[in-house]
Amino acid sequence: MKRRDFLKFIGIGGVGAGAGFVLGKVSKPPGAKLIPYLIPPEDIIPGVATWYASVCTLCGAGCGTLVRVMEGRAKKVEGNPGHPINRGGLCALGQSSVQALYNPDRITKPLKRKGPRGSGEYAEITWDEALKTLAANLIELKSKNESEKFHLLTSPLGGTIDRLAGEFVSAFGSSNYSHYGLFQRKNLAFANLSTMGTASIPHYDIENTKYLLSFGADFSSTWVSPVNYSNGYGKMRQGTGERGKLVQVEPRLSLTGANADEWVPAKPGTEALLALAIANTIVEKGLARDASAWRGVLSRYKAKDMASICDVPVERIEAMAVEFARTRPSLAIAGDSVSSYENGISGAIAVNILNQVAGNIGVIGGVMPNGDDLGNGKKIDFGRKISTLISAANADKIKTLIVYGANPVFTTPKAARLEEALSKVPFIASFSSFMDETTAHADIILPAHTSLEDWGDDFPDPGVAAPVASIIQPVVSPVFETKSLGDIFIELARAVGGNVAGKITAPNFAEYLKASWKGLYSRNREMAAGTLGFEDFWNKALQRGGWWGPSRKMTATVSARAGEHLTGAPARFEGEEAQYPFYLIPYAQTAYMDGRGANLPWLQELPDPMTSVVWGTWVEINPKTAASLGLKEGDMVNIESPFGKISAPVYLYPGIRPDTVAVPIGQGHSHYGRYAKGRGANPIEILPYKEDPLSGEAALNSTRVRITRGATGERLVKMEGSTKEFGRGIVQTVSPSEFKRMKKEVV
Amino acid sequence: MKKLILYAVVGGIAFVIGYFVNDQFFSDRAPVQPINFSHKIHAGDNQIPCQYCHIYAERSRVSGVPNVKRCMGCHQIIKTDSPEIQKVASYWDKKEPIPWVKVYNLPDHVYFPHKRHVRAGVDCKNCHGDVASMARIEKVSSLQMGWCLSCHTKREVKNGHDCWTCHK
Ligand code: SF4
Repeated sequence: MKRRDFLKFIGIGGVGAGAGFVLGKVSKPPGAKLIPYLIPPEDIIPGVATWYASVCTLCGAGCGTLVRVMEGRAKKVEGNPGHPINRGGLCALGQSSVQALYNPDRITKPLKRKGPRGSGEYAEITWDEALKTLAANLIELKSKNESEKFHLLTSPLGGTIDRLAGEFVSAFGSSNYSHYGLFQRKNLAFANLSTMGTASIPHYDIENTKYLLSFGADFSSTWVSPVNYSNGYGKMRQGTGERGKLVQVEPRLSLTGANADEWVPAKPGTEALLALAIANTIVEKGLARDASAWRGVLSRYKAKDMASICDVPVERIEAMAVEFARTRPSLAIAGDSVSSYENGISGAIAVNILNQVAGNIGVIGGVMPNGDDLGNGKKIDFGRKISTLISAANADKIKTLIVYGANPVFTTPKAARLEEALSKVPFIASFSSFMDETTAHADIILPAHTSLEDWGDDFPDPGVAAPVASIIQPVVSPVFETKSLGDIFIELARAVGGNVAGKITAPNFAEYLKASWKGLYSRNREMAAGTLGFEDFWNKALQRGGWWGPSRKMTATVSARAGEHLTGAPARFEGEEAQYPFYLIPYAQTAYMDGRGANLPWLQELPDPMTSVVWGTWVEINPKTAASLGLKEGDMVNIESPFGKISAPVYLYPGIRPDTVAVPIGQGHSHYGRYAKGRGANPIEILPYKEDPLSGEAALNSTRVRITRGATGERLVKMEGSTKEFGRGIVQTVSPSEFKRMKKEVV
Repeated sequence: MKKLILYAVVGGIAFVIGYFVNDQFFSDRAPVQPINFSHKIHAGDNQIPCQYCHIYAERSRVSGVPNVKRCMGCHQIIKTDSPEIQKVASYWDKKEPIPWVKVYNLPDHVYFPHKRHVRAGVDCKNCHGDVASMARIEKVSSLQMGWCLSCHTKREVKNGHDCWTCHK
């Protein structure tokens, strides 16, 4: 070997070994640190989970939860198997509540506005200063004898916190405490008040029914108490008895509709007439069980007349009527395709009448009214409306407004001019821990805890025809410098002084809550059974997640006076058909609900169950309609109503009427954190400002739209590749007769 | 051409050697700790039982790094003039935890509970070696899967070869 080559080998060897050494070094994990406790907390063993029972507050259903906490961190939320509402289930929204707790966009400290309103420029202040500033404002109002000019607007709170908030407002000398939110289903409650005498939603016993006729109730995804109904639905279909049948009446096939045996896409706005035509057919055929009160009214809704209005063949109406009356028990529920119109109360009453005619009220597998046996249920006050607030603000009758939980700037149509009204309010405070669209208008922000950090209670409405009282308990210590919502009211009362402080004397909300439960305990003898006094009861209730009693059967007498609210006409849609050819159906999306879920990334990346779309808004258009407009999937279109315009990509959806388009609600935020902001479009913006004058519920299905091709822009991101099988035999089918033959062979 | 291949082979062999030299001789088996803590003095000379400081070993997945209060429990009085103890005291005064360097590290995909092993009567020494004689703690086991399994085999652990026993 030449000397030269030898040196070369040495060189190459050296470089190789060096490279190997470096790779060995970098591929090793960096020296991790072991950080001990300074002083170990007594009740924590690292690595061992503690489970706390609480309640999910992400919607009004009130599902019981069990939260897994490790080393003081909430890791996972599960359904509480012992809780009568959800029996162990939990929806996607509830699962994501940990992401609300640890959300990077939470407001972590009290803030004071720096820039002009809506600019989002805030400076951090101390709690002391925040409370003093707000109290000083209220004291000034009081001293000028303008107490009535103080308004409190919250999400539909219930239980003890609702009582405390109410006490605060009335002790201050104001009567202006209102609840606001989409999907409060106040039309349904009002219809029940006028037919059955209680302003609440009854327990729909889906579990035990054999024929379920749902008018657009998407009960397996968002409607009223989805986890409870899904559980019941599973039992109805695959429980011990005979399999129940589901018929879904709605213009746009929802997740629930996709599960149905039959889909009846009646013309939007005429579903209530269909319900009445079915009821009338039952009467005419002599199948009615209880029709005395309605014979006269119903005779106006003959199946043969209604068929063409509703776009449902006479034969089909008659077949449904016979099946509904003959199958025992049967149940009709008034979902959004009867109650979300401007005559929604009329629609919900129509369904109540149908139930009564078929004899479904107060029976197992039918409509089971809920009693308010604990004397602490959510009281729906139909007078508390957003329109009252808007007109008061416009008339300079609001000087100070406190907002919590509700986000009306996002959930009210632009036509309501809410933002303009808010600009006339001299002082706005928000108790939200998120910078939502309404909070962005606030002058001062006093952030409250999320539900995993706070105390509270819940009396679910609808219940399950049994008394249920659940406790919300803090499962972790506060992550940021936020305060318990109740404590904010209590400390504010102290700071305002006078008779407000005299009325609200509890040292903190935890004590206030406990005292309130002590009262409940002493009033309800059933609660005392098997306990050794209140403390024992309280500890047991905290462990279980609350207290619930045995179910009780309630009946209701139906009042014929409800008939006065029947309009007997199809619901009106704004916009001329010639200019605006399509009905617009904005619907609650499984994950985002009314938009509250949009700031949680798990929900953004959760594919929509029907379309598989993620991270955006889309518009569902029937493939035939799209073809006639020359549109294909993913094309950006403008959706234009007489009140405004939004744009979204097209999703071709065979499960929608050709004369209807649907857009999910929830996206299109201009604030609300990094995951929600600037994504998709909000269909509520282009709705007319329509509110039921009796119930105050917003009419969502109320306008027509036109579709025009838009600029290219947002992409449609979805999981599914194609809706076709391409001969791959993914879904195997057999005909019913063949199935029966096969079954016989097996047996 | 032949030469080129030869170069590549030599380079390759050198690379592998370099890697192993690093892995075997430069791995931090006994990293320098923020406090010069001696297990020999504590567990050896003074015979303090392991679980006096590693308090969770019998109850949890983790054995527990001794909390600073536990150190100060004794060292408020004992050896307060030693500079190392004064370091401990200064962490305590600042209310800061001591940032120990991890010696035994398992990847996230391994579920290893101390509790099950301690309760089954496996001596700490089995995996951590003769700690009582170590002035500075040193890693004595590879913690590789084969090493775990050989013990599971020897002790005839029920379901001890099931993937799901350790990879959950
Ligand atoms: S339905 Fe979902 S969001 Fe509503 S309370 Fe139950 S788990 Fe929470």
